[in-house]
Amino acid sequence: MNGLSTSIWRGLPQAGLAAIIAIGLAMLAPDQGYYLNILMQASTYAIAVVGLVVVLGYCGQISIAQAAFFGIGAYGVAIGTVDYGLNFFVAMLIAVGVSGVFGLILGLGSLRLGGHYLAMVSISFQQILTLVLTNWIEFTHGPDGIRNIPRPRFFGLSLQGGNAFLALCLVAMVLVALFAWRLKATKLGRAMQAVRDNDLAAATSGIDVFGTKVIAFGISAVLGAIGGGLFAGGFGYISPDQFSFAESIVLLTMALLGGVQSPFGALIGTMLLIILPETLRFLKQVYLAVYGAAVILIMVFLPDGLWGFIDDRIRRNARAITLPAPKLPLLSQTGQMGTEKVLEVADLAKHFGGLKAVDGVSFAVRRGSVHALIGPNGSGKSTFINVVTGLYVATAGKISFAGQDITTLSPHQRNRRGLARTFQNIRVFRGMTVLENVMIGAERDGNDVANAPAEVLTRALAALDFVDMRADAHRMVGELSYGHQRYVEIARALAGSPDLLLLDEPAAGLNMTEKVELGNLLKRLKGHGLTILIVDHDMNLVEQVADHITVLNFGRRIADGAPGDVLRHPDVIAAYLGEPRHEVA
Amino acid sequence: MSNFLQLLFNGLGIGAIYALVSLGFVLLIRAASVVNFGQGEFSMLGAYLLVVFFNIFGINYYVSMALSIVIMAGFGVIFAYTTYWPLRFRGGLPVIISTIGASIFLENLVLVLYGPSSVQIDGLFDADGIQIGDVFLATQYLSIIVIATILVVLQYLVFEKTLLGKKLQATSQDKEMASLLGIPVVFMILITFAYSSAMGGLAGMLVAPLLFVSVNMAGIIALKAFAANIIGGYGSIPGAILGGLALGVIETMGASYISVPYKDAFAFAMLLLFLMVRPQGLFGEKISEKA
Amino acid sequence: MQITRRGALLSAVTTFAIIGRARAADTIKIGVVTPLTGAVAEPGRIQLNSTRLAAAKINAAGGILGKQIELLIEDDASSNPGAVLAFSRLAQNQDIVGFIGSIRSTQMNAMAPDMLKLGKPVMFGGTDPTLTHQGNPWLFRCRPNDSYSARVLTNFCLTSLKLKKVALVHSTDAFGTGGKNAMLENLTKAGVTPVLVQGYTNNQPDFTPVVQAVKQSGADVLTSYFTNEPDCAIFARQLRQLGVRIPWVGSPSIISPVTTGLAKNALYGTYGIADFVEDSNPTAKAFANAYRAEHKETPDSGWTYDGMTVLAKAINDAKSTEPAKIREAILSIKKFAGVEGEFNFDKNGDGLHGYNIVSNNNGKIDYKEHIEFTD
Repeated sequence: MNGLSTSIWRGLPQAGLAAIIAIGLAMLAPDQGYYLNILMQASTYAIAVVGLVVVLGYCGQISIAQAAFFGIGAYGVAIGTVDYGLNFFVAMLIAVGVSGVFGLILGLGSLRLGGHYLAMVSISFQQILTLVLTNWIEFTHGPDGIRNIPRPRFFGLSLQGGNAFLALCLVAMVLVALFAWRLKATKLGRAMQAVRDNDLAAATSGIDVFGTKVIAFGISAVLGAIGGGLFAGGFGYISPDQFSFAESIVLLTMALLGGVQSPFGALIGTMLLIILPETLRFLKQVYLAVYGAAVILIMVFLPDGLWGFIDDRIRRNARAITLPAPKLPLLSQTGQMGTEKVLEVADLAKHFGGLKAVDGVSFAVRRGSVHALIGPNGSGKSTFINVVTGLYVATAGKISFAGQDITTLSPHQRNRRGLARTFQNIRVFRGMTVLENVMIGAERDGNDVANAPAEVLTRALAALDFVDMRADAHRMVGELSYGHQRYVEIARALAGSPDLLLLDEPAAGLNMTEKVELGNLLKRLKGHGLTILIVDHDMNLVEQVADHITVLNFGRRIADGAPGDVLRHPDVIAAYLGEPRHEVA
Repeated sequence: MSNFLQLLFNGLGIGAIYALVSLGFVLLIRAASVVNFGQGEFSMLGAYLLVVFFNIFGINYYVSMALSIVIMAGFGVIFAYTTYWPLRFRGGLPVIISTIGASIFLENLVLVLYGPSSVQIDGLFDADGIQIGDVFLATQYLSIIVIATILVVLQYLVFEKTLLGKKLQATSQDKEMASLLGIPVVFMILITFAYSSAMGGLAGMLVAPLLFVSVNMAGIIALKAFAANIIGGYGSIPGAILGGLALGVIETMGASYISVPYKDAFAFAMLLLFLMVRPQGLFGEKISEKA
Repeated sequence: MQITRRGALLSAVTTFAIIGRARAADTIKIGVVTPLTGAVAEPGRIQLNSTRLAAAKINAAGGILGKQIELLIEDDASSNPGAVLAFSRLAQNQDIVGFIGSIRSTQMNAMAPDMLKLGKPVMFGGTDPTLTHQGNPWLFRCRPNDSYSARVLTNFCLTSLKLKKVALVHSTDAFGTGGKNAMLENLTKAGVTPVLVQGYTNNQPDFTPVVQAVKQSGADVLTSYFTNEPDCAIFARQLRQLGVRIPWVGSPSIISPVTTGLAKNALYGTYGIADFVEDSNPTAKAFANAYRAEHKETPDSGWTYDGMTVLAKAINDAKSTEPAKIREAILSIKKFAGVEGEFNFDKNGDGLHGYNIVSNNNGKIDYKEHIEFTD
């Protein structure tokens, strides 16, 4: 969070400049009438739409309840000022607080639920709120709505006039947009995007997936309420039908149309959807049908919205940027190979119903060693790695890491203690650049540079240098070849200076050349003194790098020791030549 | 007591409607992992087709229904090609949003063609209902309950006992594996869309005499059907039915004994309760651990 | 003249303004905020046709102050924000002398602050009684407000039907809740406590709980405020299916052609109140005939026709387009025969103070009586 605040403060000059421009624009607008109203509506809606950018665009969580939060803000201000005589800003603060709490609660729903479930939860919340606003007449004034909502004074400055209040709305919009824009490049913002792109990889990169989602929902609800509160002041009258399910869909479409990846997209989308119906009036009823079709077309042809399209063009032209610094040395936890046990598993078991995928396995990985875990298909290797990294809960047994019992910890807690991994089927954050991917690794909590943004960058570049990928730092990771994505994944793990690196079948899916390159990389890692646990079938690769080999079959350890001994072990030979059992996990 | 029985019967009737619409949802979820927010519009279109054939062209009622069902099946394929197909590799969210777009599009298209007024249409049978003591059993509710039951049994038989059903199941479980086994995955998915659309259309035709035919006749029903689906167990056929019936009865009872204005809240509150306490629903498999 | 005495820039501005005013003087401009799109586009279409009909008739008879009426129309998209934008767009045009507003009370509420700021007369149809009681002098209602609908309903039950066990079913939206409150007030005044007051949320697929509540309440007369026509029709059918046969007097939706067409025999024998009934007076008959001649359908509302006519009369009476004078002229309109009834504007800006009672005689809507209040 420290990184977040410094990074956002650094945006202060831009914010000030933009705010002054906004005030200037507001003063140019007529003091009442159509343009004032349309600007007021657009700016307040835009604030709520930026909220959607955070929760949906950054964090990938669907929320079809933004109009509800907008409504909570509006009603909070209306009820606070009209019924309780509170100061506008005090009422707004309370409303924003209440909305934030509801947002957090909605976020809690994401603990066990994703996608469509979450959509349904947010729809339910939206529907229930509408019913409450309509039927709890004593408190909300019911369907009649609330009128004569006053506009505030701001440090002695009257905001009663249309221009003055519009200035407030525009300044708020600008600040919110800048906040969201800066947020994207902070640790929290990157964590959100990582959760969106790949929640498992995010968890094993030290990100508290659940906490991040909850915070995203909270921020989104707060922004929704700020927009709503200003809306109430701007129009002076609100009623429940302005905050219905249909409005939530409108807000959602605004976000998608403009581009849900950027607050600027949100502004564009909001402006367009408020101005379009005005300009397309000649289409009459057909307008809404056109609009529905446009939603589909946007999803198909402009997946990142209008801003995404523009941004992509800009980025393509600006790709020449390079980072000129000299090649950086990789600073990682290293150690002499010794007797200290970094990882120790004892009688570890994982059962799926009656199937014993891992059945009482014990062994230890010593610091500074390259330890290989091998076995035929279905021998339980992948399950074992998943249990060790916390993706599966162990059925029995104990896992100790650096002397501490981590058996019951969540994946991100294990990562924060220095346990990093890669995946057999590559898991990178496809919506982000190579550099951002690796920065996420570098800024894991528990890393020495975690809260120093400048050093995070250096560390990430060093990791990229190590895998010789710096030239691709600003490319989207999704554009890379499979082999290079593998390197990004390894660099991400390395940047976190792990005590132990788990490589789950790193050679899987690579062609011959890439395999040779990978072998060389592993040798360099070994030379570096990093402790590695590698799982693979490729005996050639394993023989080149391993100091120690453990063999699994049918979920049990059948051999453990120095490579030469293990590979001659009769059980191992039998296991490899015998009938492979059906794949387990 | 008669009050309770009357509420129970009509609650089951409305629940059977949710169940019917929910069945269409389930299939798409199972075969293509698609959450279709345009499912309600399938029902709306089905009902309007019936209006066109029966009210306007004067074709025999049952023939009109059959024609409408066939057209809806074809429509399902078009829907699949436009709304789902281009987005199939981009995960659940883009498809959800594109189905929302489709729903807005269809609603307003029909609005342009027919205007916003509701249209009345006859029921399956001329008789209004049967009076048993103090309880009145409306014919249309009875028909819906019977038809829903028949469809569930049929759907179960098709899914569990036929080769086509097996192929559909294989497709829904693992598309890659299914295609390796030589199952025409694309065809299977299109069949599912066609069936789901026809099913939604049929549901629309059955509820049309009760709710009248209008552009937004099925909006709230589709939402509740989806809720029923989650309550019953996401993607489960018996779950969809029992979830639907339970929802119908609970909201009718809740409205009657607690508060009518908050009637719609009961359905959604129940959904939230289930999601918090038992997210796998009544019949769902436990949400599986992921690797 | 001015051009020689002042600077060039200023003179250009003045010339422009003079030209502008000269052009504006050709017609009398009336702003119309109406739903052309969205949920209530259908009734919006009829209302707009009626406004146009009135304007055409006035123009044919010489217009206002010798000038032709020009209608400037903006779509409110059937929503509150849409209405606010539509009105504010019209408000920019300084040549507009008066407005035809909305039939929906929430939209009127939403636009009211801007209307107050602008300070030009607005003829409207929303029936929430408070609209003319909130200190906004520019709102003039051309339909009887809900306090009258409730009084008529109450009177009809207690006096005409002589039934006192009243059940009330109402929508929980702005219209239904306003009606309910007015009903309770009137019933209390008459010393009657309703045996049932039951709200429901719009767009319900099933009304069993409401019907059962009516059935069990022991009421001998049912009153209702339904907003949406399909809701009214579904309720009617279930009411009859579940064996409730008591007399039923409903708000205008019960006799709308849409509802009666949907519910068919379930609504036979019911009573409804209506602000516009073709057979209630000669003016209404003439309007309906003229409308039918032009649009080949029967209008179900005439308030915009009245709004346009009253506004034109007021400007003619005032011999000025100055807002304050028009206001005075409107408020002094008495015993003016409109299609919705006799206009007698009170100090609040309410023009009508009575309702018609009609009955559904096997699908045909018969005019029964007009109940007028003078207080």
